[in-house]
Amino acid sequence: MTFLETIAHIVDLVPVLLRVTTPILLAALGVHISQKAGVLNLGVEGMMLAAALAGVLASAASGSAWVGLAGALATGAVLGFLLSFAIHVLKADLILSGIALNMLAAAGTTLVLYMLTGDKGMSGSLSSGVLPSLAIPLIADIPVLGRLLSGHHVLTYLAFAMVPVVAVLMMRTPFGIRLRAVGESAEAAATAGIDVARMQIAALVLSGLLAGAAGAFLSMGYVSWFSQNMSGGRGFVALAADLMGYGSAWGTMAASLLLGAADAFVISLQGKGIPSELLQSLPYIVPIVALVIHARARRKRFVRI
Amino acid sequence: MMITAMTRRSALRAMMLAASTSVLAVAATGAQGADAKKIVFLVNGNLGDKSYFDLGAKGMDLVKQKYGDQVETKVIEMGTDQTKWLPTFQDVSEQDYDLIIACTFEISDIMAEVAPEYPDKTYVLIDGVMPYDKGDYGNVYSVVYKQNEGSYLAGIFAASLLKDGVVPGSQGTSLGFLGGMDIPIINDFLVGYVEGAQSVTPDIKIAISYAGTFNDAAKGKELALAQYRAGTAIGFNVAGLTGVGQLAAAKEADKWALGVNSDQELIFKDSDPAMAAKVATSMLKKVDVTLARTYDLFLEGKLPIGTVEAIGLKEEAVGLAETGNMATLAPPALKQKLDEAKVGIISGAIKVSSGFAIDQAALDKMRTAVRP
Repeated sequence: MTFLETIAHIVDLVPVLLRVTTPILLAALGVHISQKAGVLNLGVEGMMLAAALAGVLASAASGSAWVGLAGALATGAVLGFLLSFAIHVLKADLILSGIALNMLAAAGTTLVLYMLTGDKGMSGSLSSGVLPSLAIPLIADIPVLGRLLSGHHVLTYLAFAMVPVVAVLMMRTPFGIRLRAVGESAEAAATAGIDVARMQIAALVLSGLLAGAAGAFLSMGYVSWFSQNMSGGRGFVALAADLMGYGSAWGTMAASLLLGAADAFVISLQGKGIPSELLQSLPYIVPIVALVIHARARRKRFVRI
Repeated sequence: MMITAMTRRSALRAMMLAASTSVLAVAATGAQGADAKKIVFLVNGNLGDKSYFDLGAKGMDLVKQKYGDQVETKVIEMGTDQTKWLPTFQDVSEQDYDLIIACTFEISDIMAEVAPEYPDKTYVLIDGVMPYDKGDYGNVYSVVYKQNEGSYLAGIFAASLLKDGVVPGSQGTSLGFLGGMDIPIINDFLVGYVEGAQSVTPDIKIAISYAGTFNDAAKGKELALAQYRAGTAIGFNVAGLTGVGQLAAAKEADKWALGVNSDQELIFKDSDPAMAAKVATSMLKKVDVTLARTYDLFLEGKLPIGTVEAIGLKEEAVGLAETGNMATLAPPALKQKLDEAKVGIISGAIKVSSGFAIDQAALDKMRTAVRP
C-alpha cells in the first residue's frame, strides 16, 4: 500500500467513525447532564429505543422526517420527565427506575409496533422518512477536507455542535451552576434556595432530549426503519463514555470518539482472518481499560488532596 | 385439598380456553367428511411476519386445497406473550387434533414440555430440533432445513451475475457474506454459498463478516458498507434483523443484497421500492412446502415421527426466490445452470459440505482461500 492509498483509506474511515460515534455521543452528553445533577440516567438505552420507534411512527404518519425527529425528541423528553416523576413524586429508587424504564421500552416498543403495524420484528412496511445528510457548500469541493468535513448526517453535526453548547451550559450559566450544585450536594443546594427537584427534572428532560436524538439517528439516519432492540446496547456504551469523560462535555466527546473508534476499527478489520470472537470483544475491552486508567487517575487525585 | 386443586386446575383450563378462543383465528373450516383429519398450526407470534408464520398459514391452505373436506385445518395465533404459549399448547393438546404443528426453535422448549404429557398426540416441529437424547419425544417429528443446499444455489447465482457481467465489474469484483455469529448454523449457509460460488469462479473472493448480534440493523449496515467499499458487489445476509441493515447499505452504495429465510424483497416492496430493487434474490426456507409435505407423509403413514429429518432441494423445501428481481436479473443460461446444479445436488453428483460437519481447520482454510 502506498502512502497516498493509506491516507485515502484513513479518510474513508472518518465518515464511519463519525457515524458510529454519533448515537453514542448524543446519548453520552445526555448522561453527562443527568450525572452532573446527581440523577444518573440509567434509562438512556430505553429512551433511545422508544424514541427510535416514535420517530419512525411520527414520520410515517406525517410524511415528514422532521416531524419524526420532533416525535423522537418529545418521546425522549417525556420519558426523562417520567423518570424524574418516579424519583421525586413516587419516591422510587433512581437505579431501579432506570432499569425498569429500559425493560419497559424493550417490551413496549415491540408491543406498540405490533399493535400499529401487525409486525413484531421491524417496521419495514411503514414508509418513514430519513433525515438528510448535509453537503457544506465550498468545503464539499475541497479534495480531502471535503470528505472529512462535509456530507455527514444532520444529527452527526448536531451531536458535535452540542458538545460546546453543553459545556457552556454546564460551566458558564447560572442554570448549569445550580444544576451542578444540586449534583454535588442536594442538601447544601436546597439550603441555598435552589429547587432541587426542579433542577433534577430539568436535567432528566434534557438528558431525554439528547437520548431521543440518538434514537432518531438509529431509525431515521442509519437505517430507515425501526427494529426490535435496535439500540443494541449503545445506551450502556454512552454511560461508559460519560464515566470516562472526567465529568466534562469535552471529555465525554473524547471518550465517545475513543469508543466509536474501537467500533470502527473492528468493522474495518472484519474479514482479515482475525477470529471474530476476538474482534467482537474489542469494543468492550476498550472501556474496561479506559475505566481502569480512569480509576487509577482518580485515586491519585484523591491522594493529592 | 386434592379436590380444591383439581377444581382450581379445571377452572384455570376453562379460563385458558376462554382466553385462547378469544385469540383464535380460524383459517378454514368447512363441511367435514366422516373421518376428516384435524390439524392445527400454532403460531408463536402473529401472522403478518412475511416470513415463517405467513408461510405456515399458506401451507395449511395448501393442505386444505388438496384434501378439501377430508381435512379440517386451523391456525391459532398465540401472540407474542410467551406466557400464553404453554397454556394454549396444553389446551390444544386436550382436543382431538391428529397433528399439532409449530415452527421455530423458540417453541421447542414448550413442545418438549407438553409432548410427553400427551403421548397419544402427534407433534411437528419445523426448523427446530427436539432434544431426543434427553427425553421421550417419540411423538414429535422435527424437521430442519439443508440451508447449505439453498445457499449453494445463491453462491452460483451471485458468482454468475458477476462472471456474466449482469452486475458490471465497476460495481465490484467480489462477493460478500454477512453472518450473525460464527456458529455452525450460520456457517452452514456460508459453506454452501462459498462452494456454489467457487463452482462458477474457482478463485472467487468473498468478504466475510460476523456481526455478533442478530438485532443491530445499524451495525449490519455499517459492516455491509465496509464490504461494499472494499469491492463487494453482491452480499448475502444471514443475520436476522442485523442482516436487514445490508439492504439499506445496498441502496446507499448502489450494490446488491441477497436475502435469507423469507423473500426480503417483499419487506420493502411497497414502503421503499428503491431498496427492494437491490435485493437480487433470497434464499428461502419454504415452510409452506414443508407443512404440506409433512401432511402428505402423515396420511401415507410414512412420517418419521420421533426423529429429526433434514430436508433440502430434493423436497423443494429450500431454494431461491424466483419471482421479483431474480426473474429479470438472471439470463436464461443462468436459470438453466441453477436447474442443473439443483438436479446435481438431488442426484448426489454434487456434494455440498455442511456447516455442522465441517471441522474448524477446514472452515478456516475455506475462509482464507476466499479472502479478498
